[in-house]
Amino acid sequence: MKRRYLATLLLVLGLTAAVGPAAIAADLNDVGFLDQSALGNLPAFVAANQQLAAYKSQLNGQFANAMRGARKDADKQRISLQFQQEFSDKQNELVGPLYQRTQLAIANVSSAHKLSIVVDKRIVIYGGQDITSDVISAVRSAAAVPPPAASPPPSAIGFVDQSALANSNDVKSASSQLQQFQTAQQPIYAKRFKDATNDVAKQQVMADYNKAISDEQNKLLKPLIDQTKNATASVARSKNLLLVIDRADVVFGGTDITQDVQNALNK
Amino acid sequence: MSKMLLTNRLYLPKLKLCQLKSQSAIAVLLTAVLCGCSHVDVHSATVRGVAYVRVDDVIKHHPLYPQLDQLNNAIAAINFEASLPHAPLTPAQIAAQTKDLNAQLQAAQTRANAIIGAKQQQYGQQEHDAEVAAVKAAGIDPAAAGLGQSMNATSAQQAQAAAAAAQQGYAAYQQGVIAQDNAAMQSISQQLAKAADDKLRARAEEYQQNESDLSLKLAQEDSPQRLSLRTQLSTLALSTDQRKSVNDQLAALDKKEADQINALRTEDAAALAAYRAQLGAQTSAQIRSQQTAIQAQTGAKLAQRRNAVGAQLRGLGAAPVPTVSLPPDLRRRLEQIHQQYAAKFQADAQQAVEEYQATKSDLDAQFSALHGQGTTATGAAAVQLRDLQKRQVQLQGQIQDQIQREAVRLAKQKGFSLVLDDVQAANGGYDLTNDLIADLESQHE
Repeated sequence: MKRRYLATLLLVLGLTAAVGPAAIAADLNDVGFLDQSALGNLPAFVAANQQLAAYKSQLNGQFANAMRGARKDADKQRISLQFQQEFSDKQNELVGPLYQRTQLAIANVSSAHKLSIVVDKRIVIYGGQDITSDVISAVRSAAAVPPPAASPPPSAIGFVDQSALANSNDVKSASSQLQQFQTAQQPIYAKRFKDATNDVAKQQVMADYNKAISDEQNKLLKPLIDQTKNATASVARSKNLLLVIDRADVVFGGTDITQDVQNALNK
Repeated sequence: MSKMLLTNRLYLPKLKLCQLKSQSAIAVLLTAVLCGCSHVDVHSATVRGVAYVRVDDVIKHHPLYPQLDQLNNAIAAINFEASLPHAPLTPAQIAAQTKDLNAQLQAAQTRANAIIGAKQQQYGQQEHDAEVAAVKAAGIDPAAAGLGQSMNATSAQQAQAAAAAAQQGYAAYQQGVIAQDNAAMQSISQQLAKAADDKLRARAEEYQQNESDLSLKLAQEDSPQRLSLRTQLSTLALSTDQRKSVNDQLAALDKKEADQINALRTEDAAALAAYRAQLGAQTSAQIRSQQTAIQAQTGAKLAQRRNAVGAQLRGLGAAPVPTVSLPPDLRRRLEQIHQQYAAKFQADAQQAVEEYQATKSDLDAQFSALHGQGTTATGAAAVQLRDLQKRQVQLQGQIQDQIQREAVRLAKQKGFSLVLDDVQAANGGYDLTNDLIADLESQHE
């Protein structure tokens, strides 16, 4: 009897050991975050951005002069592209090396901390590993930043590029309809607004106007948003991702599922 | 974790007491206990210690949200009102508001100059005193070392005067640039309007010529018939009925011609109206485009000069150290003292300049809105808007801070290791939103 009991206990412990790791997956501790605003306040970035702003201001004047002389749309387009290119070149020249150094520093620190993803600080409410000071030290250091020891491991957190998804024809069309609706509503509410005799009445008109726009937005855009959310959740399930965040909030690493979501939406 | 331990403590004795015969049941229960199942299974495979909060939803349930919503509506109302087409301001109104803005700018300049001057004086004196003390400590007569009593005060006055001159120069430059650009804009607008009038006049003349041509053509075409009818009328042998018939035919001929000419005139009038509207739209667009370009140029010129003035102000350091022959150690000490006070002055001056620039940017925006008839609120509405925006930012911050605090407290209480906001989709993790809403609501009940 005693032997049988021991055998059962061993079986239970064995079962727990075998099933445990899969069922009790470890808590997610490979998520880091970075305070990008602190990084942007580094003197090197501030100086580069000031130079870029001064250049842009100068370029704006030249652009306005050039556009004044352009007669045809094709000329205007050519001038626009030319100035965009000039600005982009200057941006690369001034900020590019700093940006590359920062990216390398982030990759290096992430690798040292064994992080699978680094997100922006503003989406972290609690927890996560703050790598801001390490990254700032690496960026400020006079020494060259070494390449990361390893590429980031697969992350349980995925991301989608919301701006890419918002570029679909359906979303563009719905946004355009919403814009038209808003344009049509403005004069109606402007009249009501002018007729309103006091601040309270004016605020009520605003509340009504906002509600009208919000209702129309729900009618036109919400179904598309829901559809996108469902597709994103479905892809997250198929890829065994825990959460999906917006690409804009990802600093480094993570699993990009934008294309998969686009494919799911196009089915 | 504490919840899990508590669960273990409660269940294990029960297992012993129950004397369960079924070994499979024991296995299941023991596994469950070892897994530490609780209400929120924070460490399960689907949660993995991660939670997320839909902060926007929580904000809407916050007890202070109605106040925030009211502020948002009030801000939206001012912005909406500013975006509506207004009767243009009279030159007198523009002049009065411009005068007010210039007075505010002048006051900001004076304030910045006074602060910089006072700091210069203060640090100059402190530096002087420290230098005198250092020289005395070295056993040297301060007067022999060139450390006069009034040296730094003079330097401070000169610096203050230079700062005031730089600011006044900037104000004059700003007025000059804006006046020039306004004149240029007025001239361009007049030229564009004249060009549009010329085009419209040419088109109207063209239509009138077409109508005249048609009239002539119809008259020529009908000329034989009309001549024949008039000839018939001149004969006396016609009966009354025959005469009436000929008159009717002549009238019908006139009517036919008049109808065709009127139809063309109506068509031309419509085309001319459409052309007028088209020209109006084109001219307005061109004027707007030119206005934008000129305003951008104005902004660029002013920014460039403002930066130059800022650099000039920042460059106003404390007085240089005396250059009499002194021992090397004392020289180094005096240089250190100078660097120390120069750095303090630079920091304070920088702050004064930044405060001035912030006020200046604000006034510039109001100035642009006033002269460019932009879509931002001006005058009393702008003051009200700034006040509301300040309150809105404070209230929103207060709400978000409380949400953050409570979310952190809940996360710790439930044992989460990571809580995120702004999640697009969730295949796992725990949605802490409703717990947080309930928590906040219970605190304010």
